[in-house]
Amino acid sequence: FFWVEMIKSVLIINNHGKVRLSSFYEHYTAQEQQQLIREVYQQLTKRSDYACNFLETTGGKWGKDTKLVYRHYATLYFIFCVDESESELGILDLIQVFVEALDKCFGDVCELDLIFKMDLAHYVLDEIVMGGMVLETNLTDIVEAVQSQNNLQNQEDPLSGIKNAIEKVQR
Amino acid sequence: CALPICKMDAMFRKSLADLVRGLRANKKNEEQYINKCIQQIKDELKLQNKKAKMVAIQKLTYLHMLGYDISWASFNMIEVMSQPSFTAKRIGYLAASQTFTDETDVLMLATNLFKKDIGSSSPYESGLAINCMANVCNTDLARDLAPDLVALLSSSREYVRKKAVLVLYKVFLKFPQALRPAFPRLKEKLEDPDQSVVCAATNVICELARKNPKNYLSLAPILFKILTTSTNNWMLIKLVKLFGSLTPLEPRLAKKLVEPLSNIMNSTSAMSLLYECILTCTVGLTAHGSIIRLCISKLRLIIEDPDQNLKYLGLLALNKLMAIAPKAVQEHKDTVLNCLDDEDITIRFRALDLVIGMVNKR
Repeated sequence: FFWVEMIKSVLIINNHGKVRLSSFYEHYTAQEQQQLIREVYQQLTKRSDYACNFLETTGGKWGKDTKLVYRHYATLYFIFCVDESESELGILDLIQVFVEALDKCFGDVCELDLIFKMDLAHYVLDEIVMGGMVLETNLTDIVEAVQSQNNLQNQEDPLSGIKNAIEKVQR
Repeated sequence: CALPICKMDAMFRKSLADLVRGLRANKKNEEQYINKCIQQIKDELKLQNKKAKMVAIQKLTYLHMLGYDISWASFNMIEVMSQPSFTAKRIGYLAASQTFTDETDVLMLATNLFKKDIGSSSPYESGLAINCMANVCNTDLARDLAPDLVALLSSSREYVRKKAVLVLYKVFLKFPQALRPAFPRLKEKLEDPDQSVVCAATNVICELARKNPKNYLSLAPILFKILTTSTNNWMLIKLVKLFGSLTPLEPRLAKKLVEPLSNIMNSTSAMSLLYECILTCTVGLTAHGSIIRLCISKLRLIIEDPDQNLKYLGLLALNKLMAIAPKAVQEHKDTVLNCLDDEDITIRFRALDLVIGMVNKR
């Protein structure tokens, strides 16, 4: 048996190449991860916004038969690196679900929210993708799970800064 | 000053937000600033203070994202995971998920911790441990915890059942002997009252079947029932893929699928599902002229759609059709040749592949 990931990685990278979230479901060293992030950014930044949302990476360090499925929203690229077992259009829809979930959990999410609360963004992703496999696609269930856990944190420490009300971190 | 030293330290200790603010204010000497922070974090990890350790690990996780190696803190991550507070566990398990590999030696110390948290009465605490397992599971953990995870398939909380089902795939990968005893329980989950649990079970079986399709042929009747009754597109996509693995082995199954697949193709508005049906037909239903003709006509719509994404997928599917219906593919010659000039490198690549295939066919 060998480790074959369906979703190999989820990345959020901004227009200047800075990474805002990175989850790797296959084992890469810290150095390899940074290299992959740089490469993904270089490939995506060349593409026009009219190009399709898929980029094949066959022959690259990701391994064979892998693709980048991505969406570009304003200043951020949301990228899922997937293998042939995933439906490209399905993953594209899932990115949309991820963004909407972030929006509901952060309250009108913007890049600055992700910068200051990267861990919360991870907690949202963890309710959608688990170990490189799709766990949940229903927006309501995803958001409810995240907010219930935020409430648990809040009960432990009301000053923890994790709130479900729309409250922006002091910049 | 009347404050004791430890309280003063706490006042000045950086939170994650402080770290981020500091990074933004020190863009010109970022590496220097980070090294200073790492030194402070190392000091914080030496304290006997639970909260300090928790925040330290939180900060390290952020630095890991920026490319800094934090594996030296693996033991501290386990310390934080072991704290009773949910907040600490959330932080500790995230750090572990991001950095542990199956060679991380401290993983040996974590078996009982995973066991305890997996069995927690709090579904979210259990969920944290299961999620981490899905990322870091090694052979020993898989062997030791398989029974606990299988037991969770009967949890009263669908949230827990869903996660337990999905993580089993990882357990089977790392400890294949767990599959046989667990399989009947996994099969039961195909009839779970909760759709997300059924979907997770379908997902796991789909992946298992990719490697050993003949072992899963016996599930065909129940999978067929879900195919004809489910309205969940994600589930249907996985099921159609799964049948793609099974049909080449069993022509009678292929024959039975003609009607339901044709129905789906004619009624769904989800391109993702339509496309998946076409792919499965090109793999397992090649002997059935009627459905292949349906695929070709649907493919025409896909390729001629102005949406670049559909154009790309259309080209992909045409490539798969080449072996079965070369004439149908030839009809699209002009469209394909036009794609050779597309601005989009992804499209050009696919078109080139097709042209090579078309030329070789001659």
